[in-house]
Amino acid sequence: MRLTRNIISAGAAAVVSGTALSATLGFADLIRHKAARTSHQQPTADRWLEPVAATYPALIVQGRELYLASCAHCHAADATGDEGPDLHDLQVSDRYIFHMIKFGEPHEMPSFAKKYGPADITALISYIRSLRSQPSET
Amino acid sequence: MDPTIWAKAHGATTHFPLALALSSVAFDAAGFALARKPIGNDLRAAGYWTMIAGAAGTMPAVLSGLLMTKGIVMGHDALRLHHMFVWPAFVLLVALGTWRLVQGRHASPRGLAAYLVLAGLAAGLMAVGAYWGGEMMIVR
Repeated sequence: MRLTRNIISAGAAAVVSGTALSATLGFADLIRHKAARTSHQQPTADRWLEPVAATYPALIVQGRELYLASCAHCHAADATGDEGPDLHDLQVSDRYIFHMIKFGEPHEMPSFAKKYGPADITALISYIRSLRSQPSET
Repeated sequence: MDPTIWAKAHGATTHFPLALALSSVAFDAAGFALARKPIGNDLRAAGYWTMIAGAAGTMPAVLSGLLMTKGIVMGHDALRLHHMFVWPAFVLLVALGTWRLVQGRHASPRGLAAYLVLAGLAAGLMAVGAYWGGEMMIVR
């Protein structure tokens, strides 16, 4: 009687934990697919119309100063990437970059909302956009 | 929607299964040691309910974590270390909670001893996973 109960308990534990693991992995797969569909990293026609930050020299210089103060230790001084990704030729919208700098990404990048205001972030975006046309420093 | 909502939800939900699993092991270990005293039954009852609540509490913690990371199952660096410990802990806690629920409050001493070893392992895995989870919250 006790043996039967032990077998039933162990079987139920294996089935329930296996189901819970399968369900959560399936849920993770679902979230990844949904995130990929809605990601700004996948350019769509309407995103070509999103506003582009100004890239005049003074703003780029200001952005570079802010970049060296706060971003270079992860993205490298020449922005070719280190712990963080390479920032040259980013195929993402300004709105995405703005959002990423302001709010960060859990476990990936800290939020700079308390450190930088919208004008500072715009300067940073200008600098990052300016990296498109210049070769990376080595 | 607040982009940090799932990070907040994960922070709010992870501490319940962690605290409940650790408490359950402590209650059960004390109940096992004091099995012949009247308080032993009460301690095992506390261990029983805290384990079931802890196992149930793993679901919101895991789901909010997956929503926070946009479905990353392993990741890299501290996130990978976090996941290397919390995934086995999650499976073990759900299995142990189910085993306990089906067994009822009067499991055999031998079964309870084996359970206690596995529950200690699950709580340990959970605690190490929680350490790496905490490490990720520190902006360096």
